Amino acid sequence: MPEEKTVIELEGINKTFPAVRALDNVSLSVKSGEVRGLVGENGAGKSTLIKIITGAYTKDSGTMIFEGNEITRNSPLISKGLGIYAVYQDVMVTPDLSVAENFFLGQQPKVGPFINWKKMYKESMEFLENIGLDINVRKSIKELSIAESEMITISKALWQKPRLVIFDEPTAVLTRNETKILFQIIDELKNQGTAIIYISHNLEEVFDICDTVTVLKDGATVGTYTTEELENVEKLIPLMVGRSIEEMYSKKDTEPGRELLRVENLSGERFENISFHVRAGEVVGFFGLVGAGRTEIARALFGADLLKEGKIVVEGKDVSIKTPKDALMKGIGYLPEDRRKQGIFLQQDIDFNINIINFDKVMTGPIINYGKAHSQAREYIDKLSIKIGSIFQPVSELSGGNQQKVIIARWLCKNTDVLIFDEPTVGIDVGTKSEIYKLFGEILSSNKGIILISSYLPELMGMSDRIYVISNGRMAGEVHKKDFSEEFLLTLAMKNIVSREKVKEAV
Amino acid sequence: MAGRRERKTFTERNLLIILVVMWVFLAIATGGNFSSWANITNLIRQSSINGVVAIGMTLIIITGGIDLSVGSIVGLSGMVFAIFTSTRGEFQFPTIVGILLALGISALIGLVNAVAVHDGKVPAFIATLGMMTLVRGVVMYISSGRMVTAVPLEYRRFAVLEFLGIPALAWTWIILAGFMMLVLKYTKFGRNLYAIGSNEEAARLSGINIRLNMYSFYIVAALFSAIAGLMLGTRMAAGVPTGGDGYELDAIASVVIGGASLSGGVGTVLGTALGALIIQTIRNGGNLLGVDPFIMQIVIGAIIILAVFFDQFIKSRKKGEGLKKLFKRA
Repeated sequence: MPEEKTVIELEGINKTFPAVRALDNVSLSVKSGEVRGLVGENGAGKSTLIKIITGAYTKDSGTMIFEGNEITRNSPLISKGLGIYAVYQDVMVTPDLSVAENFFLGQQPKVGPFINWKKMYKESMEFLENIGLDINVRKSIKELSIAESEMITISKALWQKPRLVIFDEPTAVLTRNETKILFQIIDELKNQGTAIIYISHNLEEVFDICDTVTVLKDGATVGTYTTEELENVEKLIPLMVGRSIEEMYSKKDTEPGRELLRVENLSGERFENISFHVRAGEVVGFFGLVGAGRTEIARALFGADLLKEGKIVVEGKDVSIKTPKDALMKGIGYLPEDRRKQGIFLQQDIDFNINIINFDKVMTGPIINYGKAHSQAREYIDKLSIKIGSIFQPVSELSGGNQQKVIIARWLCKNTDVLIFDEPTVGIDVGTKSEIYKLFGEILSSNKGIILISSYLPELMGMSDRIYVISNGRMAGEVHKKDFSEEFLLTLAMKNIVSREKVKEAV
Repeated sequence: MAGRRERKTFTERNLLIILVVMWVFLAIATGGNFSSWANITNLIRQSSINGVVAIGMTLIIITGGIDLSVGSIVGLSGMVFAIFTSTRGEFQFPTIVGILLALGISALIGLVNAVAVHDGKVPAFIATLGMMTLVRGVVMYISSGRMVTAVPLEYRRFAVLEFLGIPALAWTWIILAGFMMLVLKYTKFGRNLYAIGSNEEAARLSGINIRLNMYSFYIVAALFSAIAGLMLGTRMAAGVPTGGDGYELDAIASVVIGGASLSGGVGTVLGTALGALIIQTIRNGGNLLGVDPFIMQIVIGAIIILAVFFDQFIKSRKKGEGLKKLFKRA
């Protein structure tokens, strides 16, 4: 093993977003040949820290030293030039180029002025064979599965011989065999003396592959430990959580009423055999790791994705839901996870954004009665205390939090019996969060039910009456309020995930 | 209320100002020839056929697509009518049957466009480019490339009819444009159009039936082209095989000058109508001033580019990004 010297050293890093203190005096240093796990709940600051290292964000203060030199100016290009390579979950390779071209991007072998295709195909093919990946290098990236294209990104890490590799949730979409190859690649990188930062929600995996673990909580470093010193996952979890439940989760205990929705044995593309029910006046939480299938279940229930089989019962009657329109007619609403891509009509004004699903209430024959439409929009703007100039302001001028509130206004106005909130508070500041939680109470008091999908445990535990835990597309358990604990929920969430030890044994 | 519909009316108000300035300038420069009632009604009549095609184009551009087949549909509709109604032809159907056939066949073309774009996922540009060539071929084939004359008398007469001193063709445009303005603003059909154009996935998750709506938009666009084809037919008193050739470009220019965005979600029928008038004013005015028609072509081309340029400029300045953003974009 090469001599161990420090590759990257972060000292007192601070980063503040409007209304959010994302990183508070965080320090981290990784030696060459070291695999460092970076763990913490969602919102703990892992992604922000990574983005500062890669230069996607600029730090407010603190120093970053890379191989002995202080990096004052950083950008994704600069960090790449330094030898920092990041594998993100949303793979960012050029989709139309072939696998081979992706390996040689920017440094294609040439014969005179022409690209030497033969050499490119041959070398990349040999390289992939060597690490045990069977992928046709002539295929374009978009023809590959998500897992395959992620494996390409991962293997490029080995190809480019960087000094520091950051893996951000690399295994979420990988199969067992691919995970095995990933671990081999990490071993190989380690032997080459590359420093590695490994982020995963799968703590078993972190224990298997990492030498040391740094725990982040609420933007601050809790500490750095060797895996020997921690011994096992059970000792790690309390370090990540254990925060007192903040008072902002203002859910009052309510007596659940009649059953509004029941689904039995729902199966779809990425989940199977899911059964649950929602009663009036109750918040039902859905917990699971990234990629566990929570959003897919919600989308299938709402008719947005194909449902393979299963029974949906609304107010005691069997119903068939094939499109979002069907779901709306049956009184089911869905606030999507990705506000910008799936929720907001950016070019339109606030009035349009609220009324687009609510014109039915203000029609005079086939004609929209705008007097009524505007006043219903204003009513919900007031109700949610959204700070705006006028309802005719383009929604693009609002902050992310206020855009989210506009979408909530849209759905509150629709007044569906069951409302599914998919990660409603992601990217939203604390103040707005607590306002959104207060609205839950209002929805519940009118005998509606809420399904809350969230990866943020304090929020989920604070707001839910019951939590269903989904693990790897299957129901891992139903937990009642009295049994809520982060440790228990996390354990359930990992229930159906193949233990990495078994994977390693198979190597 | 301050800021009420600020952005949209902004474009339309500016277009109106530009139009008025042009008219005043031309009235003075031509010594009143331009502003004579006869010339003004002529101007509106000349704009009317393009104006009607452009209404349909507005819908398609708001969806984020484009329809290059409209010019060929103009030709098809006029030709279908002429063939089925010509008193020297083999069918000699009554006028109303001819109109329904022309509209029906055109609607079918619109449907095929929609299926290709929505279900076949063929980019609108390509799908309608193919359709443009295909339909023109059909027109040439069924007419053997020759004019078809002897269309019914009442059909020919429509072109010279006037009401309140305004030609019937101009009325057709004004009424259709007014009607569509109301439809886009006051019906769910219209609101769905803007929703789908702004964010198709969000529209779907709002319970909007995308397929049904996309079919409707393309069919409606084809119907407007068909109506324009009939209007052209009454003026020519015949079915003309090359009728409508190149109309798609004038229509797109009108829509774009009218403030619509080719990326979808933005655009109004009123803006398009003003855009159509501006283009025709340049042609008409240039004519009266004796400007070389080739020069006029250069001017119209430049105006299309400038219209979008200024629109982007104003938008980026409103966002406080100023020229920097604009040049980065360019």
